[in-house]
Amino acid sequence: MDPTNSHHRRHGAALIATLAIAASGCGGVPPAWFRPNMVESTKQRLTPAQESQVATVMLALFGTPDQPVAMPETGLDQAKLDLAAGPVHSDVTGKKNGLYREHCAHCHGVTGDGLGPTAAFLNPYPRDYRPGVFKFKSTERADKPTRDDLVRILHNGIPGTSMPSFALLSDTQVDALVEYVKYLSIRGETELNLMRAFFDLDDDAEGKLPQAREFLVDEMLTPVAEKWRAADDARIAVPEMPADIDLAASIAKGKDLFYGDKANCVKCHGVTGLGDGQANDYDDWNKAIVEIKKEVTGTAERARETKTSGMSAEALAEHRANLAWVDRFHHVLDGDAHRPRTIPPRNLRQGTYRGGRRPLDLYYRIHAGINGAPMPAAKGTIPPEDIWHIVNYVRSLPYGFDGELGADRTTTASTRDRF
Amino acid sequence: MKNLVIARIATQGVAALLLATGVVPARADEWGTITGRFVYAGSKPTAADIKADKDVEVCGKHKLVSEELTVGADGGIANVVVFVRDKDVKIHPDLAAAKGGTVTLDNKDCRFEPHVAVVQTGQSLVLRNSDTVGHNSNVATIKNSPSNSLIPAGGESKVAFTSEEAIPAQVTCNIHPWMKAWVVVRPNPYAAVSKADGTFEIKGLPAGELELQLWHEKAGYIGEIKVGGTTEKTAKGRKKVTVKAGDNAMGDITLDASLFKK
Repeated sequence: MDPTNSHHRRHGAALIATLAIAASGCGGVPPAWFRPNMVESTKQRLTPAQESQVATVMLALFGTPDQPVAMPETGLDQAKLDLAAGPVHSDVTGKKNGLYREHCAHCHGVTGDGLGPTAAFLNPYPRDYRPGVFKFKSTERADKPTRDDLVRILHNGIPGTSMPSFALLSDTQVDALVEYVKYLSIRGETELNLMRAFFDLDDDAEGKLPQAREFLVDEMLTPVAEKWRAADDARIAVPEMPADIDLAASIAKGKDLFYGDKANCVKCHGVTGLGDGQANDYDDWNKAIVEIKKEVTGTAERARETKTSGMSAEALAEHRANLAWVDRFHHVLDGDAHRPRTIPPRNLRQGTYRGGRRPLDLYYRIHAGINGAPMPAAKGTIPPEDIWHIVNYVRSLPYGFDGELGADRTTTASTRDRF
Repeated sequence: MKNLVIARIATQGVAALLLATGVVPARADEWGTITGRFVYAGSKPTAADIKADKDVEVCGKHKLVSEELTVGADGGIANVVVFVRDKDVKIHPDLAAAKGGTVTLDNKDCRFEPHVAVVQTGQSLVLRNSDTVGHNSNVATIKNSPSNSLIPAGGESKVAFTSEEAIPAQVTCNIHPWMKAWVVVRPNPYAAVSKADGTFEIKGLPAGELELQLWHEKAGYIGEIKVGGTTEKTAKGRKKVTVKAGDNAMGDITLDASLFKK
């Protein structure tokens, strides 16, 4: 028998034994694990050895779903994480633990990758926290949300989506969940940084990441945590809407802006405001999958057209590696990613506002745009008073202030006048 | 010993003086220029037409074609990006002096001009709109904060870059989904984009060993090139070169058609 092979088998057997022991603990439930970001790993063509490098570093920096670690650099509170993490159980006093898995994991996944068991059935898909991109917040487009922004989402839910309200949870519990979502997001973004760092390595690094703390913590983790820390002081300054504003005049001005070439809302939200102006765009999460799929298809096509007869050994090895990569990626796209969907612009006639229905919420959406979505920022282009006019016009749309939908208008009038 | 110290102070003094007056002459033998031309091996691909389905009255007037892969009549490949990978490369004083300022990416005739913009860290990208219709510019950077601003007709918006980007970032217009451009963010001035005829030039390079990196939007980092009849693997688009003082002509750099199948 080949000695290396026998070594591998012994090693494998030991591993299985370890897993079996671990699994036979409390109630026979296997320990939860953080799923590595397989889409990014496959995209970066990481080797199994490189994947395990990342996994080892991630374990040291962030711990496990049952025992999360709040490194001081993350700015996270260990006690809050402990309350949210782990399997669902109560202690002797009846205090509930494992809140994240009780309330969130079935959609957002144990890893916060938006790949929980229920996720594929939902539209829109649950948020994947790992890229660190959040839509509904009071900060500028590229900034992280504030703690209050996340609390608000947990209290109110997200109307028009499957995200429910968690207003029945205590403040302490909501606080713990917010902390845990931040933890999963910082964790996911750090993992992305690590996986992308291989590309930059010099050839003499032999595919190994530096093991120095200066690299792993200071370069990979701290910048992510810093952005979260900065968010709480980065709320957008919103000038009050003038109290004596003439609402009808404001709505009329807002309408002109909506259809005008400066704000250009009409191009995506449509001449009717029904959200039918632009139907073929993707959000950042889905776009990433669409683009990877293109690359996989292209590589597969190239491999199919390759003539292997008379190929050099080196070229043949590369050809086989490409085929293996395509094959692997198909598996990854099957189990570690959703089928991409386009993102429709919001139908403004429904009166359903995902990021909140207060005029202030609409102001934030227009001012900063929506991170991760095609919605651009009006900041710098549209002055604040004009943003308020657009807010007023948009808020008038579901109520037909500006005319009933269709019916009583003659069809000879231009579309704009009819609505 | 004492003499040596005095001599050193004297030289430093002179150097400082020269620096202050900005007349440090770059010794001609220390700096070189790299030139070359990217050539497509295979039958010339035809760029697909783009049918403008938004703002047809304005965008429909222009002949729009896909700029993903632009190959000229004589096989030259446009928009191949070449830059120096070395982190602590010595910068030519003239180029160091020219640092700062802005680079413009124009929304013009319902396309971006240029298709690939090169920015140095510390510089800003001015997103301009020379069209009569509104645009937005969605800049999908990774290390720098991504941005997506409305750019009204005749207006502009400015984006600053503080970190280099490992791969060029895509710029799109969500209103006109066919509009695509790229921005390359480098920490030094040594980057070039091949012109319509496939040629490129990087000036003021320090003589010695350097590592170039080659990228194209369809091919990604270019993994194989053919120079002077020899095919060589360039993993991650990396190509070591020795820069001599003066001109360094790489000649034709041939890229196989299969690299662009994506």
